[in-house]
Amino acid sequence: MIVVRDVSYAYEPGRQVLDSVSLSIGDGELVALIGENGAGKTTLVKHFNGLLKPQRGTVTVDGTDTREATVATLARKVGLVFQNPDHQLFAETVEKELSFALANFGVPAGEASRRVEWALEAFELGEYRNRSPLTLSGGERKRLALASVLCYDPQIIVMDEPTTGQDSRQKSRLASLLTRLNDSGKTVITVTHDMEFVAEFIPRTIIMSRGKVLADGRSADLLVNRAYLESASLLPPQLAEISWELGLAEPSIDLEAVVNAVRGARR
Amino acid sequence: MKTLQGFGYRRGTSAVHRLDPRSKMIYVLLFAALAVYFANLLVLLLIFASSLPLVALGKVSDRWSRSIRGSLFFIVFIFTFNFIAMIFMSYPLLDAALSGISMSLRFITLISVFSAFFLTTSPEDLAQSMVQLRVPYDYALTFNMAMRFVPTLSREAQIIIDAQRSRGLELEKGSLIQRVKNYVPILIPLIISSFRRAELVADAMESRAFGASKKRCPLYVLTLRGGDYAFIAVTVVSFLLILSLRFVLGVP
Repeated sequence: MIVVRDVSYAYEPGRQVLDSVSLSIGDGELVALIGENGAGKTTLVKHFNGLLKPQRGTVTVDGTDTREATVATLARKVGLVFQNPDHQLFAETVEKELSFALANFGVPAGEASRRVEWALEAFELGEYRNRSPLTLSGGERKRLALASVLCYDPQIIVMDEPTTGQDSRQKSRLASLLTRLNDSGKTVITVTHDMEFVAEFIPRTIIMSRGKVLADGRSADLLVNRAYLESASLLPPQLAEISWELGLAEPSIDLEAVVNAVRGARR
Repeated sequence: MKTLQGFGYRRGTSAVHRLDPRSKMIYVLLFAALAVYFANLLVLLLIFASSLPLVALGKVSDRWSRSIRGSLFFIVFIFTFNFIAMIFMSYPLLDAALSGISMSLRFITLISVFSAFFLTTSPEDLAQSMVQLRVPYDYALTFNMAMRFVPTLSREAQIIIDAQRSRGLELEKGSLIQRVKNYVPILIPLIISSFRRAELVADAMESRAFGASKKRCPLYVLTLRGGDYAFIAVTVVSFLLILSLRFVLGVP
């Protein structure tokens, strides 16, 4: 459970990147964090594992104030995957890359190698296990970066833009993996600009704009709200746009609902 | 990493910003040479002080002080190593300490002089002035780009540190050797991404026909004005005065 209370943060004095942000994310939730460039999404998630400490307000993770814990302790619980895989891949082989965090957290060898095998399989990286991460393609590096955090099995998973550079097959694999992890009780938080991904797979959405939380609620409600989407410079999901074009009484981001509404109107 | 921020240029309109880069270059070369030449603490302080008017008039004191504060970290090393080395060579304690202090002060002075220069000189003007000094354009550009990417590199280093700490890396953990090893996961991504970026920049430049014509002509030509001559005169005179301390008074 992550509770953010009235948090403000500025990298330079006078330029608030986060401005009195409050929100709470319960155990086992699947949440999307969306908003325009520079809205403060990445800055906010860096508070979740203590990389940044709130300048005002508090962030607590399972009751622990992040100001009173080290990043290493918090990271064991909150796995944060950065946007650009090139900012973290360094090991000689894919396997060693996956073992890095496991070794840092002192996971016993037997358990560690089981986790590595799991990650290789889950992210379709098995055939590259002895390759250098630097020789992989962009999409593969992205997947390896995700795998290198998920492999130590953190309770809360936070990902910054996990879908960029992934084709639709990898995207839906990622979605089903996240859904499975979520079903097994993990909390999953994704920062993203991929509105279709949110509409299809993620039940709760938090919209940020200019350092504030603009809206927080069911994706089904927020993603058909023109005012919110426009003020956060977000592209509406295609189904929402179709709903508006057709003048449906109840705009929806659910394919079946839109199809039924169209069929109903035809009859 | 903070030290590096003290070298990033931001646009400004002060008198120091408007000086021709060549006049400031004369200052940097002469006074950096003095800082290396003298070991006397008072003289080093004097050379250090010479950079202060530039910093103050250029209104860059906050970023300048950041670079000075950042370099304090290195000073601890410089002082300690120098001190230990001198003790091993069986110098008296006081001499060893004084020499350590003078080494550290020399380092700070050099940082201050160069920082004052780079904080007030735009990279474009610097490149142009190098070209006017007949440095081949390719070299001027390479130098210019190296400077241009310093702040980028320091920002990127911070992101990499954050990313690896998120994977449980603790930089301050373990023995001295272990602590050095802790930096491997930081340095490798930093080096690799610099290579990737260099390649990208080269491709982007070639796509925009870099090097297509051998003869370049600049849009602006830098000219020395009254202020520049006055600045150069003051610089050269004070350089000679400080230098005379050695030859007339025999200051070490």
